[in-house]
Amino acid sequence: MGKNEREIRVDEMGLAFAKTMMIFTVIGIVLMVLPAIAYFMGINQYVPLTEAHKYWRLSANDFWLNVTGRTVTGYSWIFDHLDKTDCLSMIGVLLLMITPLLSMLAAVVKAEDRTYRVLLLIAALEFIASILVKSLVAAASGAKKVVKK
Amino acid sequence: MVAFAYAGFYHVFDDVIVGGDSMAWWFWPLFMFVFTLLIGIISPVSGVGGGVLFVPLSTIITPFNIDFIRGAGLVMAVTSALSSVPYLIRKGLANIRIFAIIAPVMVITSVVGGWVGLWVTNAYPNGKYLIKVLLGAIILLVFFIMVSSKRVEFPEVKEEDRDSLSKKLNIWGEYYEPDLDAIIEYTTKNTPIAIVTFAVIGFVAGMFGLGAGWANVPVLNMLMGVPIKVATATSMLIITANAPAIGIYLTKGAILPLIVVPSILGITIGARIGAKVAEIIKPKFVRWLVLAILFIAGVLNIIKGLQGMHVIPPILPGV
Repeated sequence: MGKNEREIRVDEMGLAFAKTMMIFTVIGIVLMVLPAIAYFMGINQYVPLTEAHKYWRLSANDFWLNVTGRTVTGYSWIFDHLDKTDCLSMIGVLLLMITPLLSMLAAVVKAEDRTYRVLLLIAALEFIASILVKSLVAAASGAKKVVKK
Repeated sequence: MVAFAYAGFYHVFDDVIVGGDSMAWWFWPLFMFVFTLLIGIISPVSGVGGGVLFVPLSTIITPFNIDFIRGAGLVMAVTSALSSVPYLIRKGLANIRIFAIIAPVMVITSVVGGWVGLWVTNAYPNGKYLIKVLLGAIILLVFFIMVSSKRVEFPEVKEEDRDSLSKKLNIWGEYYEPDLDAIIEYTTKNTPIAIVTFAVIGFVAGMFGLGAGWANVPVLNMLMGVPIKVATATSMLIITANAPAIGIYLTKGAILPLIVVPSILGITIGARIGAKVAEIIKPKFVRWLVLAILFIAGVLNIIKGLQGMHVIPPILPGV
């Protein structure tokens, strides 16, 4: 620490944002890594490692067609197979995806300035809309490819 | 020169991993861990998302399909930002006030850009190459402006330079600069123009599925007048707003734990090291690192665009 270093002033909303982000990032990574370790050990796999190794050069659509006989077009491949370690690992990824949203909401609660509270709330609502829109677009484009096949 | 280095690198690795499938399956997860650890260290120092470095290099080196590489790249870029941002906020380097003003604009324009991008790809399959050339030209323009400008490490924003929005929203921040052994206080200028610029950046980033770090840093630093370290750290904070795009790859099944998990572990550990390095590293070095990344990104985009339009013969792989 330098002789001129004093306590840095940081916004309360910034600190709430940072704390929430740190907590949920750690939880998300743990939720992703622990089932993945079981997956790497060969326990209860949805996609066996040898199969993944065989087809990982193919596009995502062709990969799933070869491995499971059907393409993936939504979140059901995760939620329908939560007893499988590789699918369970994706819950961690989902949590990481929504961590910025949770952080923004925490900052909204702590924001002292009304303008920043409104701005962060708008960003949070747009974030939710963005998740829905992007997921729907992907599902729609995936469905098209299945029809073509 | 960059193109020759890129092509040479590709051929060396092509010889090493011809049909990388012949390697034992565990080799690649282990490789991804070491590879992403190095990217994780560079990312917070430069303010450029890990995905920008990860995707083009992985396309050359690894046997994985581009779908899985893009999916892993996005999860990695977001996770590296999530891992380093809390530390950077507490140190006063990543500024939530600037984020709160930019995020509502960028999130919405990136979604609109994504829609337009899909429409352009369907309607004009070759149009994306022309825009890649334009994008490369813009990046090089930013590079030359940054090279020719002076004192961007600590830009001075006088009270009379501040715009009314900056004053009204009371945009400020401070951080400790060990290089000067002093606390640097900063504010912003040109806020309304910066908001419009970020709207355009969000649109372009969404349209072409790019990260926005390459553009965030110069706009924050040169247009808004925040110190280069704050610009790189706040750029990481802005990158977290890209997280909803993970949904695209999850719903396509393009995220596999076999690739993503070792990469995330590597980038997370690397980003923590990188965030500490970002605090103590000399601002001049950060500036040159950002410039080097901008230059390479600009040249590669132009070459890839011209290659896609068949204006020049194929030089770069994976286009």
